[in-house]
Amino acid sequence: MGILISPKRLFDVPVHARCITPDTFSTLSLSEILNLEVHEGNRKRKLKELFEVSTGPYTSPEGFTIWMKGDFSKVRYIGYGMSTGKIVLEGVAGMHLGEEMKGGFIQVYGDAGSWVGSMMQGGRIEVFGDVGDYTGAAYRGSGRGMRGGEIIVHGNALNETGCYMRGGLIKVYGSVGQFTGMHMHGGTIMVGGETEGRDGAEMTKGKIVILGRVPSLLPTFKIEAIKPRVKVGEERVEGPFYMFTGDLAENGEGKLYVSKNNNPHLKEFEKYLSPVKVK
Amino acid sequence: MRKIENVICPVCGSLCDDITVYVEDNRVVEVENTCAVGRAKFLNYGLHRKPKPLIRKNGELKEASIEEAVRRSAEILTESKYPILYGWSSTSCEAIRVGLELAEEVGGIIDNTSTVCHGPSILSIQDVGIPSCTLGQLRHRADLVIYWGSDPYSAHPRHIERYTVFSEGRFQKSGWRSFIRRLSGKLVKKRLSRVAELILRRKLTFPEEKYALPPYFISEEERKLVVVDVRKTRTAEVADYFLQVKPNTDYEVLQALRMLVNDQDLEVDEVAGIPVRTLEDLADLMISCDFGILFFGVGLTMSKGKLRNVDAALSLVRDLNKRTKFLIMPMRGHYNVTGANVVFTWQTGYPYAVDFSLGYPRYNPGETSVVDILRRGECDAGLVVASDPVSNFPASAAKTLVDNPLIVIDPDVTPTSMMADVVFPSAYIGIEAEGTAYRMDHVPLRLKKVVEPPPNCLPDQEILARILREVRRIRRG
Amino acid sequence: MALLIRNGYVYDPMNGIDGEKMDILVEGGKIVDKLKSAEYEVIDASGMIVMPGGVDIHSHIAGSEVNAGRLLRPEDHAKDVELKTEITRSGVGYSVPSTFTTGYRYAKMGYTTVMNPSMPPLEAKHTHEELCDTPIIDKATYPLLGDWWFVLEYLRDGKIEECALHVAWMLYATKGYAIKLVNPGGLEAWGFGRNVRDIDDPVPYFNVTPREIIRGLCKVNKLLHLPHTIHVHTNNLGKPGNYETTLQTMKCVEDLSSGDKPCIHITHCQFSAFKGVDWREFYSGAEDIAKYVNFHKHVTIDMGQVIFTDTTTMTADGPFQYILHELTGNKWVNHDVETETSSGIVPFRYRRRSYVHSIQWCIGLELALLIRDPWRIFLTTDHPNAGPFTSYPQVIGWLISRKAREETLSKLNKRARETALLPSIDREYSLYEVAIATRAGQARALGLKDKGHLGVGGDADIAIYDVDPRKIDPSTQYDEYVKAFSKAAYTIKEGEIVVRNGEVVKVLDGKTYWVKVSSNSEYEVSEDMKRRFTEYWTVQFDNYPVSEAYLKRSKPVQVESEV
Ligand code: SF4
Ligand SMILES: [Zn+2]
Repeated sequence: MGILISPKRLFDVPVHARCITPDTFSTLSLSEILNLEVHEGNRKRKLKELFEVSTGPYTSPEGFTIWMKGDFSKVRYIGYGMSTGKIVLEGVAGMHLGEEMKGGFIQVYGDAGSWVGSMMQGGRIEVFGDVGDYTGAAYRGSGRGMRGGEIIVHGNALNETGCYMRGGLIKVYGSVGQFTGMHMHGGTIMVGGETEGRDGAEMTKGKIVILGRVPSLLPTFKIEAIKPRVKVGEERVEGPFYMFTGDLAENGEGKLYVSKNNNPHLKEFEKYLSPVKVK
Repeated sequence: MRKIENVICPVCGSLCDDITVYVEDNRVVEVENTCAVGRAKFLNYGLHRKPKPLIRKNGELKEASIEEAVRRSAEILTESKYPILYGWSSTSCEAIRVGLELAEEVGGIIDNTSTVCHGPSILSIQDVGIPSCTLGQLRHRADLVIYWGSDPYSAHPRHIERYTVFSEGRFQKSGWRSFIRRLSGKLVKKRLSRVAELILRRKLTFPEEKYALPPYFISEEERKLVVVDVRKTRTAEVADYFLQVKPNTDYEVLQALRMLVNDQDLEVDEVAGIPVRTLEDLADLMISCDFGILFFGVGLTMSKGKLRNVDAALSLVRDLNKRTKFLIMPMRGHYNVTGANVVFTWQTGYPYAVDFSLGYPRYNPGETSVVDILRRGECDAGLVVASDPVSNFPASAAKTLVDNPLIVIDPDVTPTSMMADVVFPSAYIGIEAEGTAYRMDHVPLRLKKVVEPPPNCLPDQEILARILREVRRIRRG
Repeated sequence: MALLIRNGYVYDPMNGIDGEKMDILVEGGKIVDKLKSAEYEVIDASGMIVMPGGVDIHSHIAGSEVNAGRLLRPEDHAKDVELKTEITRSGVGYSVPSTFTTGYRYAKMGYTTVMNPSMPPLEAKHTHEELCDTPIIDKATYPLLGDWWFVLEYLRDGKIEECALHVAWMLYATKGYAIKLVNPGGLEAWGFGRNVRDIDDPVPYFNVTPREIIRGLCKVNKLLHLPHTIHVHTNNLGKPGNYETTLQTMKCVEDLSSGDKPCIHITHCQFSAFKGVDWREFYSGAEDIAKYVNFHKHVTIDMGQVIFTDTTTMTADGPFQYILHELTGNKWVNHDVETETSSGIVPFRYRRRSYVHSIQWCIGLELALLIRDPWRIFLTTDHPNAGPFTSYPQVIGWLISRKAREETLSKLNKRARETALLPSIDREYSLYEVAIATRAGQARALGLKDKGHLGVGGDADIAIYDVDPRKIDPSTQYDEYVKAFSKAAYTIKEGEIVVRNGEVVKVLDGKTYWVKVSSNSEYEVSEDMKRRFTEYWTVQFDNYPVSEAYLKRSKPVQVESEV
């Protein structure tokens, strides 16, 4: 069993719909689901006033499945805190997709907004399009970003991906903005494309792997070695990579791997390597 | 002619409170002690103000009564699903308090102008904290003053003289002397000595000397002024030391300095084009002072990296406290932008970008900040108080604002008010109406009323209270 | 509206009433012995506890440091929000609640009077603006005067009377209620990043010692006949071994008390009762302090009880806050105020598995249980430093029930559990004693004559809790009491029912108390003083005072001074 849901119209103001999760839907009858409360701007609405909702034979190995079709770009907090089941979204997802998620699987065939998977603890989010800022980040003022699970972005991400991240894995196959892994305390981030720089700023632990080009490195990172390959989650990624540690301004022990072949301008760092370390 | 002393200048975040104002025929005719900017405001405020509220009818702004304008405003706000209430940095705290209540009542988003100036600073403060103080603390104690990405001579003209390098404190003497000694022209020297003596109320004596000092000379016995900026500003010209950084490289420079003050070696020879040796000198200067202060301006918060530049600056100063006393302060622009943050925070817990649409305060700049909301085209009505977003916001944001019903409360005619649907010409707070404002260092001061406002120009607080009453009347049927 | 509160079990220690079943009559905002009007509302309080409204002698609820704490912690607010209702404003809660929420939450617990204990005089307007937006409760605020340059200079020169006149002016100018000292001398030293070592370490550049400041202001307090004593946050607060400093502080004014009247209040004493040399060799000094207090009537103290939670520490003690930041690595706000004081803020989590935090938890309760006279030890958490005020009911639970303490003890750090004295203490507070420690004693210490009792003529600030002391045993069924104290069945403020069943049903504005000293030699502001003023501060003399317009409901307390 599952639910199909699509917007009745284009929304012009934000829609808050924390209730769209398999956890909530799976325990309710269709009529109860239709009457769930959501907010359109400052107006309280019933789910059925804004969305076409129907049941259908949607299943997946993850369990209860919500199939979402259409433009959800103004709809926030889809999959908030979900722990089980699956959401498949064909279209665009709004901000805070899968925030504080604990388990289950969200797949988006399209773009998603900022704060994808922020503070998530488990489960998996896969976005086939682009995402905004603060993927896997923490709420303002908090040092507890993503702690577990996986976020996979096939397109590009903007700034501060993995800000205050403490665990789990983020993979962005496209390019990213600035400050990837800002204040990172753990976990792994992989970037397939290029970055706008300042990667790993103020990180203290964790691992960042960049396969594309970086414009420059922060002066507070030290080169340690050149590595032929590096592990990202279960996977081995072939290099060679320059391996840096930092951010030394924070006495950090974070590891930053940057592709050697795609960054010939970083060759000057090789002079700081003691000969033993060059492999 | 009436003479009113100790008036507070409602223009910039320095909030000078020693202004003397002369009033004749209910008009300010002369002011003393202000800078040129403050003077211009006192003498020329509200020149083009309309005599009555305006309402747009058939595309044209027509004069209306206050009651009509209040009713129309209340209708706009109650009909809206996602109204924004913006401005608040050039009005009184009393008005802001009512504004917050109104925003809560209509389930809107309330945001102040820090969203486009020091909002990033606040986000970083929420990440790392901020060691700061009131300005007098600097006057008495600071022996090293750094302005980073800020040019007080243009934006806060009396800041240096009242609070920092040229002011005279209990433990620190004014830095006029070393400044004057560095100048070469005899006449300039003489003129400035007089200015300095007037301000300090004592005679300046100079030791016998043959030559003027070189332009950059770190004096041992007086306070030192250091300026870091992307170009040589007017403040930089009077500085003991000026460090020019390439645009958009502040973050790298600050992080490198952090390593140096923590006694770590930099692997590279230069950072963003600055030789590491130069940075080492600056780091030494910072460590060896008894009491340092770093002021930062929008040059830092709005260049590439935004909040993270401030993050690095705050962390640098925090780290310096392991070695000496060092504090940091944002140079706030509008006279009460600090007050807006303060009042927002005590009523809602959050300093700006507060969204009441769910019935309780929510805060997430980027999501709930007005510029971003407008850029995404998400709002359907607006109220602007004492601010001109049409001129300051990005074009796409300004477009959403004017495409939807818009209410403006402002003592001046601005591009925003000309595009509005309801306009309230208001009393000028601090000249025509009383109120509280917070100096950039959070010191509250009572703004004075020195002249009567025109008959149909109410203070912001009063206009907002009337709209709020009308909104409640509509809602409760 | 007149009220008849019928058949409640009344606890009114000031009038010696200990759980008697009786009626309380209210009219015109006061307790009366006969109702004049024929129309009145009857509250059936049978099977319930009736007490005077709660009084809190020390809770940081307003002003610049509290607000800086709010600004610093969006992550603390986001999980605890209050929706707007027809009569109440929305807000955020947890460790540093927004102003409206603060007022409502106090009222919901049956508290009606709260003292805001630290106000930088230069920023007094800010404190009062916030207090205006703190509904329902009555309040007052203490200006920080222990590091004020004028005070340091007068006391250095031995000019007590001049100092007294000056303090009187300051109370007037800031609309303050009592003299607050925080790490006297240490905050001035913090101006240059330093601190004072003990009460005899002179303040740099001022040549005056903390001892002289404490004694001097204690004398000033007496000369001015202020309703409260000096309110002291000791030197060396938060440092192992500081119980000795605390003992010295109490001793140093021993000779200044007259009769049984207290002359010094040591606030959040838990933080000042540390024994040991460092954080490893760290023990409770509560026994030593309690012993002293038991034999010396000139001291009152409040607990500063630790709660195991995530909270926000904020004090005017700049150097202490910096050390806390260094210890925890948590974000840090510092705000030094020219010529007057400083402040600092650091988020902090008290953990059960931490040895030090567990001992701290024990210290607060040991103080409360070892000090025999409940009129001199008050229940506080130094909100929000040791925990938010919303935890008071929990603390009441620990006081009335040994079982409640054992419950918590069993989850504490093992070493703390094994070394602490607390497990061996049997004492359990009676409800009469609870009423003293949470209202009557505090009101008396504050000199608030109309508060903290239910005698005729007193303010009709009343709390009614739905728990039957004849049926429910506090010692074993303490959680029933914790529940009842968290949600008052009724809170009555100035004769109006403001809370019913733990929900706010009516919002009104509380009064702000402040002390108006009338002196023989009317305080003249000399030109010399004005000149010095301009030198010391960056605001003009005329722009410094807080006008009465800043107080929504001003309640000056007149005192006749000796100077
Ligand atoms: S510095 Fe600012 S506040 Fe002072 S007089 Fe000039 S404009 Fe006014
Ligand atoms: Zn306190």
